[in-house]
Amino acid sequence: MPPAPPTDPSREPTISRRGALGVLGAGAAAAVILPRRPRSRAGIPAGRTVIDYWEKWTGPEGDAVQRLVDGFNASQGRIWVRRIPVSDIMSKAMVAISGGDPPDVVGLFSYNVPQFAESKAALALDEFGGAGGGEGGRIDPELYIPAVRRLLSHEGRQWAAVSSVYNLALYYNRAQFRKAGMDPDRPPRTISELDAAAERLMVVGDVGQIEHAGFLQNLPAWWPYFWPIMFGGRLYDPVANRAILTDDATVAAYSWVQSYPRRYGAGATSEFGNVYARSFHSPQDPFSSGACSMIVQGPWIANFLRRYSPEFDYGAAPVPVADHLYDPQKPTGMLEADVLVIPRGCRHPEEAFEFVRHTQWQEVQERLCLEHCKSSPLREVSPGFMESHPNRYVRVHDAISKSPAVEILPQTRVWQPYADMLVGAFDAIWRGADVKPALRTVETRAQALMDQAALRRRQREARG
Amino acid sequence: MTVHPAILRARRRDLARGLLWISPWLVGFALFMLAPAVMSLRYSLADYTLLEPPVFIGLANYRELLGDRMFRIAVQNTLLFGAFSVIGTTLLSVLIAVLLEQRLRGAALVRAVVFAPTLVPIVSACVTWGWLFNAKFGLINSALAAVGIDGPDWLGTRAMAMPSLILMSFWVIGTSLMVCSAALKDVPVSLYEAADLDGVPAWRRFWNVTLPMISPAVMFNAMMSLIWSLQVFAPPQIMTRGGPENSTLVYSMYVYSNAFVYGRMGYACALAWVQLLVTLVLAALLLLTGRRFVYYRAA
Repeated sequence: MPPAPPTDPSREPTISRRGALGVLGAGAAAAVILPRRPRSRAGIPAGRTVIDYWEKWTGPEGDAVQRLVDGFNASQGRIWVRRIPVSDIMSKAMVAISGGDPPDVVGLFSYNVPQFAESKAALALDEFGGAGGGEGGRIDPELYIPAVRRLLSHEGRQWAAVSSVYNLALYYNRAQFRKAGMDPDRPPRTISELDAAAERLMVVGDVGQIEHAGFLQNLPAWWPYFWPIMFGGRLYDPVANRAILTDDATVAAYSWVQSYPRRYGAGATSEFGNVYARSFHSPQDPFSSGACSMIVQGPWIANFLRRYSPEFDYGAAPVPVADHLYDPQKPTGMLEADVLVIPRGCRHPEEAFEFVRHTQWQEVQERLCLEHCKSSPLREVSPGFMESHPNRYVRVHDAISKSPAVEILPQTRVWQPYADMLVGAFDAIWRGADVKPALRTVETRAQALMDQAALRRRQREARG
Repeated sequence: MTVHPAILRARRRDLARGLLWISPWLVGFALFMLAPAVMSLRYSLADYTLLEPPVFIGLANYRELLGDRMFRIAVQNTLLFGAFSVIGTTLLSVLIAVLLEQRLRGAALVRAVVFAPTLVPIVSACVTWGWLFNAKFGLINSALAAVGIDGPDWLGTRAMAMPSLILMSFWVIGTSLMVCSAALKDVPVSLYEAADLDGVPAWRRFWNVTLPMISPAVMFNAMMSLIWSLQVFAPPQIMTRGGPENSTLVYSMYVYSNAFVYGRMGYACALAWVQLLVTLVLAALLLLTGRRFVYYRAA
């Protein structure tokens, strides 16, 4: 093959100024001439005010929310709601609000309400609507169960509407209860009964490995802040703005938590929990697969059990409590909610409120509850709601929601770091750390954050 | 010496033309790098929640760092990860590159296999590794069990979680390997021939010829690895969420949590500036140390 001829640099392809300007000009002309109706508006009837609704739900729950949105869009001819699934929604909502370009409605968590309320990042819902609770009226807070009302409010004002609520109950494997010689219609009611049942159901292998668990608090380790409630602990005093972690009830709760790894081995119990950490709500779920007989879970578990183990024989009951707290008329639990917020600076607040109000109608709420497999946040439920509910133990959850003993998460804007610190403390306690010092470390740091947040708030208010 | 005005005009014209052509980058840099950096410096001196206007608080955020236990934990974990990850990936990439230069059968396939993981999205890789490390269902422990070894709880204990993440970081050495391989191909054959004539054994040939000749590439790899490892985020965030007992809580996770979860953007900015300073200091130390060992042919 003959060698390639030497390249003449002067003959290399170049682009002239005229050529470059021509290309840029053509691009600009195209941008001006081409139609600019965005694809995101495709399918939206002309003349509607479009509101953007950010929601965290995806999958079947997201489909249920979309059906709710479709129902609203079909129910009137003025507003069109566009649901946009958003992950990590709280962070993105904060950035969008900060940047002055928020959606019109955003689906947050109830523990975000204090932060958004104190910083006026949300619009108070009691500012909207006329008198009365009908069409065009305000959202009547009396519609909600009292604990739900507390979740949606902060410092006397309502900042959010409810999307769905949940509380935790004890789910247990009836077949394994029977096999262990226990009455499947008599689940544990107190901590001592729970411990006894867990002991009977626990199977430990030759080298100390757990073959089958009766009950473990790290399965799942999603709510490390839940256990004090079973002993009468509160985590937070809203009046004094104080973190409470070293009171007798809370220390007793985490000492009880620690008694499980002490009895069955920290390594073995941790390993058992870690093995199943990614398996929840899947065919390998430790509860439905029979690896663990009792588990603390929300009502949605019925949806997954129906999907993956339709023949599974299970029961549900309020979580057991310290023996001296047991009162069948006042089941204990913790209520949390997914909430709808209208962010400050949104383009169509009135239209957003109209949509939010629509979601609070009993009929709409109940349809969503049935699809999300949750109990109703409203005081009244229609006849047949309980009977047609996919979770046959929905009455257990409903009773917890309406119980005077039900607790809600601490309503402080520093709850998130507080909860994250509790995750670390839970881990440490599980592995044998002294309970009270571990809790005191978190309490001190959480209190410092609360004091700092209060100070900064005063400084901001002083500046007007 | 004076410069002719026509030459000066031509130079200015060239400069203006050059600036015009790089202006897209300049505008992008100013908007998306410089301005956020300046703003973050300002926010680091303020209490800024993202949702409310910033309140100037001087150096309070930096003072808070000194007493923050989680900050110390995050720094320790990140330095631990960085030290082992940088040394490990650098040595491993040199080792594999040298082996692949031995004209063994299947070398091209091995090179492709080692490079392939760099093409996998990091989130997918982390989820997959999370399952590989599963104590009961994971492939690693299943393989160990097949040879009679009871595998550990890789991500579930303080002792094993961080080493597991470090081990995982070696998975993406493809780019470093390619840099080393390219450098190895650039070593003059005459040097090896001279070493052969002198009867230099293989080990000394590697130590006295190969390593000095590829030392700039090794330094480049170490520098990139250092910068990457000090910013590590996705693997611990996805695989361990910082646990157990905060043993895998790394610096970037703590910055992220403060900025976007706790609503403490001012504090997060202070953390980020400390991270930048630490990275600069460590990079400078690496460069200074490298001066003694790196051989630049052109120099």
